[in-house]
Amino acid sequence: MTTEATPQIATEGNQASPILTVDAVTKTYGEGHTAVTAVHEASMQVSKGEFVSLLGPSGSGKTTLISMIGGLLTPTSGRVQVGDVAVSDLESKQLTSFRAERVGFVFQASNLVPFLTARENLIWVASLRKDHGRTARKAAGRRADELLEELGLTQRAGNVPEQLSGGERQRVAIGRALMNDPDLVLVDEPTASLDTEMGRQVVQLLRREIKDRGKTGIMVTHDLRMVEYTDRVFEITDGLLEPGGDPAEHAAGGHATKH
Amino acid sequence: MNLAVAEFRRAKGRFVSITGALSLIVFLVLILGALGDGLFFGGTGAVRSSTAQAYAFSADAEGSLIRSSLPLAAESELEAVDGVEQATAIGALITTTSSVPGGEDLVVMGFLPEDDPAGVPGTILEGRLPGPQDPSGVAVDKALADAGLGMGTTLAVGGVSQEVVGVVDDAGYQGLPTAWTSLATYADMRAAVRPEFAGQPVQPSVFGLALAEGVSADQVVPPAGIVVASNEETYLSIPGTREQKSSLDAIIYASLAVAGLVVALFFALVVLEKRELFAALKALGASTTRLGSGVVLQAIGATVTAVIVGATAAWLMGQVLPSDIPFLFRPETLLFSAVLTVTAGVVGALLSLRRISRIDPATALGGTL
Repeated sequence: MTTEATPQIATEGNQASPILTVDAVTKTYGEGHTAVTAVHEASMQVSKGEFVSLLGPSGSGKTTLISMIGGLLTPTSGRVQVGDVAVSDLESKQLTSFRAERVGFVFQASNLVPFLTARENLIWVASLRKDHGRTARKAAGRRADELLEELGLTQRAGNVPEQLSGGERQRVAIGRALMNDPDLVLVDEPTASLDTEMGRQVVQLLRREIKDRGKTGIMVTHDLRMVEYTDRVFEITDGLLEPGGDPAEHAAGGHATKH
Repeated sequence: MNLAVAEFRRAKGRFVSITGALSLIVFLVLILGALGDGLFFGGTGAVRSSTAQAYAFSADAEGSLIRSSLPLAAESELEAVDGVEQATAIGALITTTSSVPGGEDLVVMGFLPEDDPAGVPGTILEGRLPGPQDPSGVAVDKALADAGLGMGTTLAVGGVSQEVVGVVDDAGYQGLPTAWTSLATYADMRAAVRPEFAGQPVQPSVFGLALAEGVSADQVVPPAGIVVASNEETYLSIPGTREQKSSLDAIIYASLAVAGLVVALFFALVVLEKRELFAALKALGASTTRLGSGVVLQAIGATVTAVIVGATAAWLMGQVLPSDIPFLFRPETLLFSAVLTVTAGVVGALLSLRRISRIDPATALGGTL
């Protein structure tokens, strides 16, 4: 892992020291005349304890951007820094460790392991850490129980995903994302397969967990009603990232951008 | 917590088809192996388990005890050869005995009763072989004893009768049980069933050779008109033995290759089906090695289970087969087949590692799968 000085990038509403810095990041697929730039010189900073949303129409580059932030894709140019880690400089194996220990993911379709119970899904993620000795295993069990209790899933801890509702599955996925105490939680369309009320509950819960634990969250969403639960909005259109205005304004439908 | 083990325990239904298919293949392999062993061991014991390290044949015998014919005088010539400590004259005659209801085909083996004869059965279960002090009587193969020719009964061939004075084990020849008697009695029996030999001097078929320590058959320089073959060369030259063995081995290896392909196909489909989950797990920080080793572990689990199921079924089959079918269920063959089956399974599973390594964790985001 590489430690680098973090440059100051002026970003709307950001006062505290940033845990995430994205600096002039570009991702281009292909070469020559077939090259497609999915993200063009995107820059953003997000502070510890912030929960921000990333809006943009399909194909705008938002998935590519959070993939680079989460160490799933390597930028063509520019720099991604999470805490003291220069993510964009990491090798493939280092990225695997980085994702296991520093990032939590909540996927659109939960993607829980179907043959593990809710509690086991959480504990398994803890086994991806390098320090997974006997003591760590016991601690993982306690942490899983604690998270499940906070998420209101204690009674469902022994159920496998197919025995859970869509909302419960997403709550388990939130627990899994927080299990390894990550710096960053990346959330991909968490309400896509939920009804409005369930979606609202899940995002509220997500916000509470991120805030209570002092984590940093980035939520990709199409659902403008969920934006009100975030602190800030970023918008990306045709690969160009820019601050997206007031979350309340988006939620009220008053912002000009269409999604 | 091991994902592979958890899936094997919780999602048994997923593995029923692969384990079932592999069990059938293991069953087939073990049945073929047991039949092959039955034929091989039943047809070669008279030589393989004998006290001779080598055999001397007439030059035109092509390794067959039945086709070979040597003069009795060759004994002294052979014993004069460097490296040969003892040469025992042995006659071999395929015939039928009427002493068992319905008759029984057998090979009468006549040998010169002497001290420590070379080329007689190495395992005596009961009684004795005809010897220099008492050359009378006949020692029969266990198969003949099981057919009713036990100790104290009489074996008759062409009107020549001898009391059964011993029972020997692992002494079959060319798929037939054997009866071991003196060369003189053998000559009488041969003359009785083949009158053209009546009145002719006793003529052995081959000589069993005991070699000096450290001497091998290929180091022995035999007299003119005689060839010497090692014990192993001799039993592998028994007509049909090599061909049967290689044919059955080819079927067994082909079946094991099929087992490997079945595992490879199964896990290729499993990986395809789990692409989305594997992408998510990789995104969460699981390495290809970790996911791949899980697949290999599951392949080992499926093949080991299949070996247990297939071996049990094959053993049960062996218990209900008629005793005249040469079926020999050997632990060595079971172990060999088990190791090859598990190896084929592991190799098959390893083929899916490339697919796992090519799953891009980035596809877990954006619902692109």
